Amino acid sequence: MRVHLFGILAEKAGSDVVELEGAATDELRAEFRRRFPNTKGLMFAMAVDRKVVNGNQPLNGNEEVAMLPPFAGG
Amino acid sequence: MSEKKHKVRDIFIEGPIDPQFVADSLAKHATRMDIGAHELFLGQVRADGVAGADDRPSATTVEAIAFTAYRDMALERMTDIREEAFALWPSMICLHVHHSLGRIPAGQLCFFVFASSPHRKAAREAVAWVVDRIKADLPIFGKEIFADETHTWKTNRSVDPSGRPDHQ
Repeated sequence: MRVHLFGILAEKAGSDVVELEGAATDELRAEFRRRFPNTKGLMFAMAVDRKVVNGNQPLNGNEEVAMLPPFAGG
Repeated sequence: MSEKKHKVRDIFIEGPIDPQFVADSLAKHATRMDIGAHELFLGQVRADGVAGADDRPSATTVEAIAFTAYRDMALERMTDIREEAFALWPSMICLHVHHSLGRIPAGQLCFFVFASSPHRKAAREAVAWVVDRIKADLPIFGKEIFADETHTWKTNRSVDPSGRPDHQ
């Protein structure tokens, strides 16, 4: 599924969208780390349908998924 | 000018916030005879100094911040924050929020929160609360660009490393 990247994650991945396969947010996290070892040590939250996920959330593949590095607004 | 209809508003402005925009925004409220107090918060890009590092041979300063955002999520969250603010301070008459996107040079304005109420307490408290909520909860990202063209990614101090707000 398409996963949207922001900030330093988009910079490290060289794109603001990546295709990752996974049935839950933790699986997408793990695949992202495998695909982009240069993101090691960078912490990020995940959002599903524009809501921050707490813990591991199952996915049906139709959600809008994003990986969010620390916020810096203001 | 009634602000108590909580439709999704676009808070984002491309480029710096012009001080004239702030003055014009204030002037628009002159027709509201029920307002007795305005409270404004203005965020400005600060030319922070940073020490040298492996990829940065000598000390330098922040020349600009390039802001990006997860726009749809930010606007949804802002709508919730606005509703919460009007619930917490029911006497508040209006609340305006603007945040810059793109490259904002040091010394320029990037953030504008403006509340009006019959008396000062509601507007003051609401602005302080809304500023904190925005910094903690809105998916806005800032690349600090230094004078020597290196950069780093800004992290708000009140936000934990997972990106989730810690609510103190």
